Amino acid sequence: MMDKALDKQADGTTATGWVECQVGGFHLETNWEIQPGQVLVLFGPSGAGKSTTLRAIAGLLRPVRGHVEVGGQVVYHGGGGGDEIWVPTHNRRLGYLTQQYHLFPHLNVAANIAFGLPDRRSPAGRERVLELSGLFQLDGLEDRYPWELSGGQQQRVALARALASRPAMLLLDEPFASLDAELRRTLRRELRAMLAQSPVPVMLVTHDREEALALGDSVQVIDEGRTLVTGDPLEVLGQPGQGRVARLVGVENLFDLTVQERNPRDGTMTCVGPGLRLEVPLDTQVSGSAAHDGGEDRVTVAIRASDIILAKEDLAGSSARNRLPGEVITVESRPPGYAVTLNCSNYGDSAQLLRCHITGGALEEMEIRPGQRLWAVFKASSCFLVDEARSSDDRPPWSAPEYPA
Amino acid sequence: MASRSVTIDAVSRLRNHPIGVLGGSGAVLYVLFIGLPVIALLVRASQQSGFLDAVTSDAALTALRLSLLTSMISMAVVVLLGTPFAYLLARSDRLWARVVDSLVELPLVLPPVVAGVAMLMAFGRNGLIGSGLETLGITIPFTTTAVVFAQIFVASPFFIRSAKLGFQSVSKDYEDMAQTLGVSPWRTFFRITLPLAAPAMFTGLGLAWARALSEFGATMMFAGNLIGETQTMPLAIMSAMETSLDGALALSVMLLAGSVLVLAVLGLLTRRRWQGR
Repeated sequence: MMDKALDKQADGTTATGWVECQVGGFHLETNWEIQPGQVLVLFGPSGAGKSTTLRAIAGLLRPVRGHVEVGGQVVYHGGGGGDEIWVPTHNRRLGYLTQQYHLFPHLNVAANIAFGLPDRRSPAGRERVLELSGLFQLDGLEDRYPWELSGGQQQRVALARALASRPAMLLLDEPFASLDAELRRTLRRELRAMLAQSPVPVMLVTHDREEALALGDSVQVIDEGRTLVTGDPLEVLGQPGQGRVARLVGVENLFDLTVQERNPRDGTMTCVGPGLRLEVPLDTQVSGSAAHDGGEDRVTVAIRASDIILAKEDLAGSSARNRLPGEVITVESRPPGYAVTLNCSNYGDSAQLLRCHITGGALEEMEIRPGQRLWAVFKASSCFLVDEARSSDDRPPWSAPEYPA
Repeated sequence: MASRSVTIDAVSRLRNHPIGVLGGSGAVLYVLFIGLPVIALLVRASQQSGFLDAVTSDAALTALRLSLLTSMISMAVVVLLGTPFAYLLARSDRLWARVVDSLVELPLVLPPVVAGVAMLMAFGRNGLIGSGLETLGITIPFTTTAVVFAQIFVASPFFIRSAKLGFQSVSKDYEDMAQTLGVSPWRTFFRITLPLAAPAMFTGLGLAWARALSEFGATMMFAGNLIGETQTMPLAIMSAMETSLDGALALSVMLLAGSVLVLAVLGLLTRRRWQGR
């Protein structure tokens, strides 16, 4: 069923390009290369330039310069040498999906799906609509109007419509953002299954970590119109190497510390700072590359809030290398769980705020409330070093990849 | 269904509200104020013995035919030229667009008689471009063309303003989406923009048509009162009043019926199959 519906879509063409855009005072520089069937996730805060990138590829916005290839065809080339190439949006063979779906309100489901089909009134066109409505579980809804559909059904219609004319590339702009968590997971699975059957390159914009991890084959973190890092989703989102990236992808705890002692035998080192003394993985590169400040090695240590265990008593005798006593400052709801902020101190007189994520069950069982004294426990390997020095200002200047004209 | 229950709730809540009481008496007064003359017209017309004869008289039918012909030509011109113009006004944020936009409102506030005089100064025998047209053998004033000119002048703003609002309500995102689906901008306009703006355009067309049918002042000044050539229904009513009330009443009832018909047809056309946007 699935391969029959989507077979001809398998173009097997890499989507690649780079653009420089200027929208008012906002400047964007970015480049990409996506293999067929692969998903590149553009990750970053709102206003970072993610949607602008998609609009530039779709031809809804004219870049200052760049080079864009979709389906083996140069759809934009400009600003450099040679003649400018500009293929209008409707000839770019794209599937474009937005958070608001933008289903046409005056057309029913069948007409919406068939909208881009050149042969939509022929038997072949009608059959295509039936195939797609079957594929996306829309059978029997063909005569409904968009306002008569649930959010998930609307999203499925939008997806079916985008795929109907077999695009050479998919551009997904936060496609699941307005759906509830469970539906989001279902649709992600469906999208994954569909991609396995019809390998087109996909560019997906999101600021949801879970979505990036679930769908991305690679992740590109964008901020203020610049690409900070591109790489494997687990590496980039799990243990991001740069302080700025770590903040963008939502690493909750970042501490500037000084290396006090190295323990090569354990593969750890002891770092200290105001209020904190932590055991973190030994990073051989730090001594070489990090800033030396009066003979001291300065490092930035990151710990994810979800990697911290809260305990009522000191877990002495446990294998966890870091055990910090602290006082609960705030407890906030953070669906599906809770965020607890502790004021911790195990070194010197001052203290540091530590953010921990726990489940609602744990919160009730331990009866956690502000003012309570707790222990924060985490393994040395839960800590990772981020490179603060490589901030945007110190990065090598962005250079546009060269393409033959 | 849902919207109806909301309305009933709102009305029952208004019943005990001071504004609601005031509004209710206002509504009664208003219905009387508009309804009484209309009823009086119908009652008097039905009492006239020669009513049917007057309705089917040559003079009445000639005026009716001319009114229908000229207003239909005017509306065709207004829709054909006004639609792309309104779209441009809706989508452009340039300075000239805003200047032209406020210019569209001028005929709404200008007394029609003044419009007639002004058109005479432009297209008249000694007018600004009228004298030039005269040498080319084209005469506009006091012809059926002048009637159409006068109607377009006074009625076009109703259509253009309404169509512009209609186009503005169609999000650019729908047009972008249609183009990413492989549909050219030209086809997008006919398959997306026009159908979505259609209810507003029909509303505007209804108002413009009613205005064109009732046009009197500018026509009188610029086109005159020639039977069969420039004497439309309103002018015929005016002329009939001087000789026989019968004729005037008959023509008035016909014009009233025509207006109600236009309202009803457009009311049907503006009903949407879909909700919200």
